[in-house]
Amino acid sequence: MKRQSAAATLALLLLMSSPALAWNPFRERPQPPVAAREPDPAPFVAPPPGIYYVTDTYVADVVTSSGPLTTYSTTTVHESTGSYARVLDTVGTGASSAFDGSAFNGRRTLGDGRSVAGTYYENYVLIDGGFVPISVVFFQDDAELARLVAVATRSPAVTASPPSLPSQAARSAAPACCPATRPVPMPASTPPPARPIRAGVSLLPVSAPLSSVEVLRGRAVALWPRAFVDDREVPVLTWALVAGDPGEALVLAGSGGAPFRTSWRRLAPPGAAYDLVFRMEVDLPDTGHRTADARITVIVRSPALEN
Amino acid sequence: MSWAQDDRGTALVLTLVLAPLLLVALAGVLQLGALRVAAARVRAAADLATLVAVNDQDDAELARSGALRLAADAADVAREYFARELELSAPLLDGAAEDIAAAADVAAYPSAPAYDARTGARYDRPTVRIAADVPVRSPIFGALVLRPVTVLHVIAVSSPR
Repeated sequence: MKRQSAAATLALLLLMSSPALAWNPFRERPQPPVAAREPDPAPFVAPPPGIYYVTDTYVADVVTSSGPLTTYSTTTVHESTGSYARVLDTVGTGASSAFDGSAFNGRRTLGDGRSVAGTYYENYVLIDGGFVPISVVFFQDDAELARLVAVATRSPAVTASPPSLPSQAARSAAPACCPATRPVPMPASTPPPARPIRAGVSLLPVSAPLSSVEVLRGRAVALWPRAFVDDREVPVLTWALVAGDPGEALVLAGSGGAPFRTSWRRLAPPGAAYDLVFRMEVDLPDTGHRTADARITVIVRSPALEN
Repeated sequence: MSWAQDDRGTALVLTLVLAPLLLVALAGVLQLGALRVAAARVRAAADLATLVAVNDQDDAELARSGALRLAADAADVAREYFARELELSAPLLDGAAEDIAAAADVAAYPSAPAYDARTGARYDRPTVRIAADVPVRSPIFGALVLRPVTVLHVIAVSSPR
């Protein structure tokens, strides 16, 4: 009975069904014209993160001097050459970079031999949908005061004594017939200026002084404090480490014939380095007893896996 | 009751049919697990070899410029240690560890930046890279009419940070 009722109901539904037709009330109206869209001349390729479109293009390195101040800058022109760029590294004064020597415009040095601060950029061009590196450029951004000023402020012996004004008696002693002439003061004999001592640190007793070194973690190194006067090496009487992390060193001071021996078991924080300052004593007939400081940056590295 | 409705003995038939399939699946799973273990050991061998090779620097360059450059024999050190580490997994290998290490592509980039011609990667530090094809025995696969030897491709890269 149930089967018969269900079959009858299904048959009734099938017979009474009708198609549901949709009705468009606006079918009589003309269709609005659709503006033909022109295809893009070139497919847009989004640059990867870190790479941006260049709107200011490098022109030249500029070094300007204003009194004792020397400024190192870079001039640019506001134009787009269709290239892209990304920042490789931003370095401070004297800091080394993995990209030193790779920039086509080089990296200048300050008067004391340290490298100028600035930023390394890598330029790209878009070829066949890929970004191809073409060059590396260094944008310098630094300034320094002339060393002469620094030396003058450090050693009062070389500062010239101010010219003495003519005394009132001297002016009154001038003959009345003649026009008053201002007597020219003759400077008193001053001692010769102290010859500057250039201090440095090297890894060998006879190698060139370095501003920074990269050493592996735990590797034993010997740092030799050195002193130079007029590009001539002079013996160091004593030296002492006055600032910086000495690592595993046992002795922090010594004579000029012995180096500073140490190793570092700890890495500096990311992006940082150990800055060491050595103070050394020099005593020669032509220099007198003097002290000088030498600074060296130690970057400790350790092997690691790359992805 | 007809014979079609008689289910006596079907469990025995079902077991006879499914047991080989279950055994094959179980063997395949075991072989895949063994291959994963072998791959991990081979990868660790390559990683250790590159780490050891990078852990030395050129003293002359260090004294001259203060920059870290790899020792001149970094590639040889990497190959030698790769062979030594593979030797510990010799029962898994289908070949002598020394031969496998000798055939490996070991490249040392003493100074940076450098570009790897094989992978296209750019290295901003001195780098040692090992790329090797290591044949590993897979006897169960061989019994299942598959390859009795599976080649593992491994690449390890290390540089001082």
